[in-house]
Amino acid sequence: MSGVSVEDLRVGYGDAVVLDGITLTIPRGSLVAVLGPSGCGKTTLLRAIAGLLPATAGTIRVGDRLLSSARNTVPPEKRGIGWVPQDAALFPHLSVGENIGFGLPRGGRGGREARRARIDELAAIVGLGGLTERAPSQLSGGQAQRVSLARALASRPDLMLLDEPFAALDPLLRSALRIEVAELLRSQQNTSLLVTHDQEEALSLADFIAVMRHGRILQWGTPAEVYERPASLWVAGFVGDTVELDGRWSDGRAECAFGLLDAAYQDGPGVAEPQEGASVRVMLRPEWLRVVDDRGDADPTDTGARGVPATVTAIAYAGHDALVSVLLDSGQPVRARIAAPDLPARGTRVRVSIRHPVLAYPVRTDPVPADPDSVPDDATLR
Amino acid sequence: MTLESATRGRSPRSRVGRAPAWLVGLAAVCAAAAAIPLVYLVVRSADAGLAELADTLLRPRVLTLTLNSVVLAAFVTVTCLVLGTLSAWLLTRLRLPSARAWLLVSALPLAVPSYLAAYGWLVWFPGFNGFWASWLVLSVVCTPYVTLPVAAALRGASGDLEAVARTLGRGPLGAFRAATWPRIRPAAIAGGLLVGLYALSDFGLVSMLRFQTLTWGINAAYGASFDRNQAAMLALVLVVLALVVVAGERRSRGRVVHSPGRNAPGTIRPGRALVPALGVLLIAPGLGVAVPVAGLVSRLVDAETLREIDLVRLAEAIGATLGLAVAGALVAAVLALPVAALAARYRGRLVSAIESVGFLGHALPGIVVGLSLVFFTLSVMPALYQSVVVLVFGYAVLFMPKAIGTMRGGIAAVPGSLLDVSRMLGLSPLAVWWRVTAPLALPSVGIGALLVAISVMKELPATLLLRPTGISTLATELWNRTTVFEFGAAAPYAAALVLLAAVPAVILSGIRGVAKEEV
Repeated sequence: MSGVSVEDLRVGYGDAVVLDGITLTIPRGSLVAVLGPSGCGKTTLLRAIAGLLPATAGTIRVGDRLLSSARNTVPPEKRGIGWVPQDAALFPHLSVGENIGFGLPRGGRGGREARRARIDELAAIVGLGGLTERAPSQLSGGQAQRVSLARALASRPDLMLLDEPFAALDPLLRSALRIEVAELLRSQQNTSLLVTHDQEEALSLADFIAVMRHGRILQWGTPAEVYERPASLWVAGFVGDTVELDGRWSDGRAECAFGLLDAAYQDGPGVAEPQEGASVRVMLRPEWLRVVDDRGDADPTDTGARGVPATVTAIAYAGHDALVSVLLDSGQPVRARIAAPDLPARGTRVRVSIRHPVLAYPVRTDPVPADPDSVPDDATLR
Repeated sequence: MTLESATRGRSPRSRVGRAPAWLVGLAAVCAAAAAIPLVYLVVRSADAGLAELADTLLRPRVLTLTLNSVVLAAFVTVTCLVLGTLSAWLLTRLRLPSARAWLLVSALPLAVPSYLAAYGWLVWFPGFNGFWASWLVLSVVCTPYVTLPVAAALRGASGDLEAVARTLGRGPLGAFRAATWPRIRPAAIAGGLLVGLYALSDFGLVSMLRFQTLTWGINAAYGASFDRNQAAMLALVLVVLALVVVAGERRSRGRVVHSPGRNAPGTIRPGRALVPALGVLLIAPGLGVAVPVAGLVSRLVDAETLREIDLVRLAEAIGATLGLAVAGALVAAVLALPVAALAARYRGRLVSAIESVGFLGHALPGIVVGLSLVFFTLSVMPALYQSVVVLVFGYAVLFMPKAIGTMRGGIAAVPGSLLDVSRMLGLSPLAVWWRVTAPLALPSVGIGALLVAISVMKELPATLLLRPTGISTLATELWNRTTVFEFGAAAPYAAALVLLAAVPAVILSGIRGVAKEEV
């Protein structure tokens, strides 16, 4: 039995196209994160799969059941999909236990006992055993989200949909709870789809990430693939910090301010390498840079082995590490991520080298349309 | 993040899409019921022909009545605007002892029917009548319609902006004008127009204080019965005036900025100005509540009154009043529920049109609804003329807006994500309504019905026109006795009215969080 497959899914409101041909195959038992900026359509995708929004075209299958197609749409209550909304959405007029059991059949004499037992079991699974008599208003935000999760799990859905379930929680609680939830979902062998705009959440939790923008999926891959081999400069900037340099393609390598570097060319599948001498955009991650104190004893012309000379101009300290801005002597500013104990001081002379193959992207000659998404969230500013 | 959370935090309205046809149909039928009086009035006037219409409208008598109505409404509106805005400013900006109590006191005149206040004044001063008498009593009774919304707006427009304006070089008055007044202006204007509407619609007070306005003229022309067409045309003039005022009110209400009230206490220490400030705050509740209630009590405990009390008659009036209130509340709630459910969850031109029609009763003076329904029953179903059915239907039309407003709020307050979750947990749309929406919205449905019941108990003009022979409510008994200067005999009915209608109104507004500021 397969997992979930979505084919050429389209959703629009009037003239506005929100989902523009989404195709996704989610392996059974995996946790997939849909990552994208505000308004990219990720929540719409989730609602369409849930059946809360009608699809204009395309098919949705869970296991071997066809849930939505041009001819037939299964209503949400018959889809067997679990739903965990951002605000937990507990029924305020019901106790915690009744919330968890809301979707379970009420059953006859024997059924009532089984129902009771299932509720207790679920409450224990999410770590709220003994709280089933409480009212939702007596729970903390994290507890409410756990109840919401237990309620969705109760009738053993084929697929769990989580719509930014941690976004409303405070940061400390958020990171603790999301690890716990991911473990729980894996231990229940659930196929799960999690929507988030937080790239750290996606990278740390998911088996696979789908990066979305403007109603399309730009990249599908494991977290490492998406972070280390982003399909475009935009994806690169959205999932993490970047250092971008002008460069020139030269015999399968990229020549830039750091000299001639090993590089992989990224421009979608099946695209030939650029011509010799063509301009490229070189992208690397700040942690791929190595910064060492310049003791002044090396030959300044030897840039390959020891790195290029530079001066530290600013340090953005973040506790565990820091983003260090340096100005290369060639006038090029770059940023490097350095583990905390080894930080240089401002104004120090340093040498900067590269310890990872870099990525090269085609230079866009067409003007980039101005849109709010080109400055995605807080992700690139972090 | 902002864009998407804005769309996600959306009210459920925006996402469900098209409303089911059966709900639209049902709501349309219910709302259409509210349109009967107005439609029939127009039809009836059109029947009379343009020539007669023009002829009637240009009679000096009609012009005088119209002018009286407009001038009284204008004077009352301006007075309420000044007194209400001043009171609101004092309530929100001064550090008053027990500030919440003062807010409640300021809301008190809302609970007193205007004709009851007029009765109370007449008890003290039997010769009290005419324009200035009507102006004074109507103004103090209506002031809370300005005070409460402006106080809410002032609280939203917290002193921060004013402080910023001060640091940018404005003086205290300049800062108020630049930073605060633009934010409270829509609330003040909307409240003022509401006052205008009440002043135009009022019948009992102006009749008791013998100032001849359109409402008085309608009743007189109808009572004279030889010229019922004239009554219809006067009613048409009144409706046009009322609709103009209501249109203006809706326009400015749309501009009211709703910011979360911080409920921060006032920051200015009144010092020696405390006594004059409290004096200003006491004008409306003092003249609109304390004076009339004191007059009522003084008459009630009078030995002669107590001896002459007709207990059977009083009990009958109380019974009739309560029975009509319950019936009116039930019918209004049943008619309002589909409209409220539709308006709470969906939008679109058709939906807002249906909702607006449901709200028509808000704009129609009671005397107009009464008159129109008299004509309607006489020509369409004479068997029902002067029957309880038509009277209760009239109440439902008049007070449906109160029920729609409250119920819509309650239904819309059920978060959309709860509905999504219920669907995902296997409930059909009907089951969602039954197991989730209904239990959560039930309190607001109850409050809506209760508001209607209270309004029915206080209603006077429509009741006078529509009541079956032999049925008297507390309001009509009070009115009948007051118009013939039997103040003592009227006192027990007035007292019963205060206990049955005014006291629950005060308690209810207290329950809903100290005086509902969104009048």
